[in-house]
Amino acid sequence: MMGDLDMVMVALGQVFSFTNMAVILGGLLLGIIVGCIPGLSVTLGIILLLPLTYTFSSPDTAIISLLSVYVGGMYGGSISAILLNSPGTNSAIVTTFDGYPLAQQGKVKKVLDTSLFASVFGGIFSALILLLFSSLITKLVASFASTEYFALAILGISLLAGVSGDNLAKGVISGLLGIFIACIGADAVTGVRRFTFDTDTLKFGIDMVPAMIAFIALTQVVLKMRDYMVSDGNLEEISKIDHTGLTMKEAKSIVPACFRSSTIASIIGAMPGVGGGVAQFLCYNEVRRASKRPQDFGKGSLEGVAAAEASNNAVVGSAMIPLLTLGIPGDGVTALLLGAFILHGIQPGPTMFTKQGEIAYSIILGTLVANILLIFVGAICTRAVAKIVQVKYTYLAPVIILFCFAGAFAATGNTKELIITAALLVISYLFVLLDFSVIPLMLGMILADIMEMNFVTSMMSYDNDIFIFFKKPITLGILILTVILLVSLIRLNKRVSKLSDEQMDEMDEIHSHHPEISEDTTQSNVPEKTPASESDVSQTVIITLLNKKDERIEIKNITNKPINLSGWYILSVTGGQKYTFSETIIQPDTTISIGDQGRNPDITLHWLVGRGIWNDKESDPAELYNANGELIDRYND
Amino acid sequence: MKIKTNLWTGIIMGLFSAILLIVLPEQVPLPMFNSGAPSPRILPSFAIIGMLIGSIALIIQSLVFKKEKIYEFNIKFELPAIIIIALLCIFVVLTLNIGFILASCIIFPIMLFYVGERKPFIYIFTILAAIAIFYLFKSVLNISLPGFGG
Repeated sequence: MMGDLDMVMVALGQVFSFTNMAVILGGLLLGIIVGCIPGLSVTLGIILLLPLTYTFSSPDTAIISLLSVYVGGMYGGSISAILLNSPGTNSAIVTTFDGYPLAQQGKVKKVLDTSLFASVFGGIFSALILLLFSSLITKLVASFASTEYFALAILGISLLAGVSGDNLAKGVISGLLGIFIACIGADAVTGVRRFTFDTDTLKFGIDMVPAMIAFIALTQVVLKMRDYMVSDGNLEEISKIDHTGLTMKEAKSIVPACFRSSTIASIIGAMPGVGGGVAQFLCYNEVRRASKRPQDFGKGSLEGVAAAEASNNAVVGSAMIPLLTLGIPGDGVTALLLGAFILHGIQPGPTMFTKQGEIAYSIILGTLVANILLIFVGAICTRAVAKIVQVKYTYLAPVIILFCFAGAFAATGNTKELIITAALLVISYLFVLLDFSVIPLMLGMILADIMEMNFVTSMMSYDNDIFIFFKKPITLGILILTVILLVSLIRLNKRVSKLSDEQMDEMDEIHSHHPEISEDTTQSNVPEKTPASESDVSQTVIITLLNKKDERIEIKNITNKPINLSGWYILSVTGGQKYTFSETIIQPDTTISIGDQGRNPDITLHWLVGRGIWNDKESDPAELYNANGELIDRYND
Repeated sequence: MKIKTNLWTGIIMGLFSAILLIVLPEQVPLPMFNSGAPSPRILPSFAIIGMLIGSIALIIQSLVFKKEKIYEFNIKFELPAIIIIALLCIFVVLTLNIGFILASCIIFPIMLFYVGERKPFIYIFTILAAIAIFYLFKSVLNISLPGFGG
């Protein structure tokens, strides 16, 4: 049998094939594009590419292409964070803290270079960790049998259910619903048909690809179209990219930040169920604490950008550790990758390194090479990709939708896939209204087969003894670990969420005390409006407070006579939502509040759409207009 | 309209799993011969009973502990999403009957018009994209999407 080093050498030869290099470059570019467009995500890129990977002759090429999308997407998210103050992906929220203020100071190229440098640094760092530790971990778990695998599947679903929303019960229901959906159709062991309701459409079950497309990709596009319409199709203006890049001295100065951030993110990313979104806040905080110039953070610190970007790319490699070694995905993206592995006949887990060692190492080395190539793709394509953000969404949406339906059909080549996709899209929209995360559902669907197969094998090996899972020490250990990890991860996520909220508030505070930042921030995001002439209506009613988190805005009549607000309206600039006053008189020197009555029992007028009007992740100024559409006051958040 | 998401998820998923539990014996027959393998009903039963328990927990959370998450449903805001989803369902029906390209030529111009797009080039671009995707899947993936005439 080949040793690890021999397998690495074979894999090296495979990775540097022409096909693999081409798919890595293509994947990186697709990733940067989808990552860059706010509202679209890396998951969408992976789902769009998945049907095309069926044509690839080797499974490792298919997985490498999808991983390249993941790597590219993490960097792409930073482009719009820097240029638009609007993170392309959740993992780029922290990049806006320093990236956008720097862009406003005209240092766009410098900050994009920093982001690229840090992304590549973080990516390579964690890919090396993945390379070094994967084999080691698999050797530790090499003795695992069906009972342990069953317990691991339970661990995976539980963790993702626990952390993917803010309600554990909803997460658990979602994961179990996924398992139930996977049960529909013929049972692999006995051949019995389950829950087909005598319909041809359900006879062969619900395939994973149409489900992924409907639940994740199509839902994302439909919601983005909804928001596009609500905002009347206004496009955000991007900052111009200059030509002064990062100097060698500056690059050297951010290396410690990159190193610190990559180390922390690699540890966090490797914990199943935590994922990338969490890492960035912790890393940013830690790098700021250790920095010689912590006072610059939030106002335009290159170290801040480096911390954020190194962390989100470092998570890509380390999130692959539990996926490759144990078959447990760490977040939504790795859950989809697990689905892709299974579709391509690869079973991640310890046996992968013994039975399909070259494939395992090809994938790991592919991740490493993708991160190295990112520096070239990023340097050459960023300027062109940034223009795509300016492409009207009406160009993109129909093409993505057409591709989604074609991809769903390609799963089996049967027209039933189209019907299933449409039906699941309707269900998915209902889930949006019920605030129900579909990520555990997808993982349930993906892991159900593995669970059932290992359950059946365990039962047959141990004479149908259901208690065998509690009798075998390692299996029992995994189940106990599931409970411990679940409780501690829910707590950790709550703490991090509190920390991130505090950081967001702090950044808002810093930006509001720096008019040159907040002023510019709003200018680029907002379409031009007609201000009211000074003499007549302006400065009669002013906005005195905007508390985005509590969904509350207050306006005050600063004149000495009552004003009829009938027909006046408040506009949430980023989201485009509008509150129009009906017959309301505001008395002199009086304040009235408008917002969510649920969160503010004392509110005068109730206003809530969806889960909230005000965007507390991005800049979202408020504007007050009179009945003639003249701008009366504006509140820069 | 305020949607109490915890309560409604509990009610809907609770009813759904209760119905599934009732029809389970009929929908999952036992195999004719006992091969020694566990019953095919085990995993679905585990999932359904789990969902039922989770749903009851959600209802209790909402009604007893008053833990709730509100989704404010504003029809003006949500209508575009509902109409686009409806158009996509019609797109599927049309694809099955008159083919992928023709269905795209009917539904997507309607969708673009609805979202307020008036530039003719975007309409042409979308139709060309539909044709390109049809032939891409046919030639590269060897998968023929429903052609003309369904």
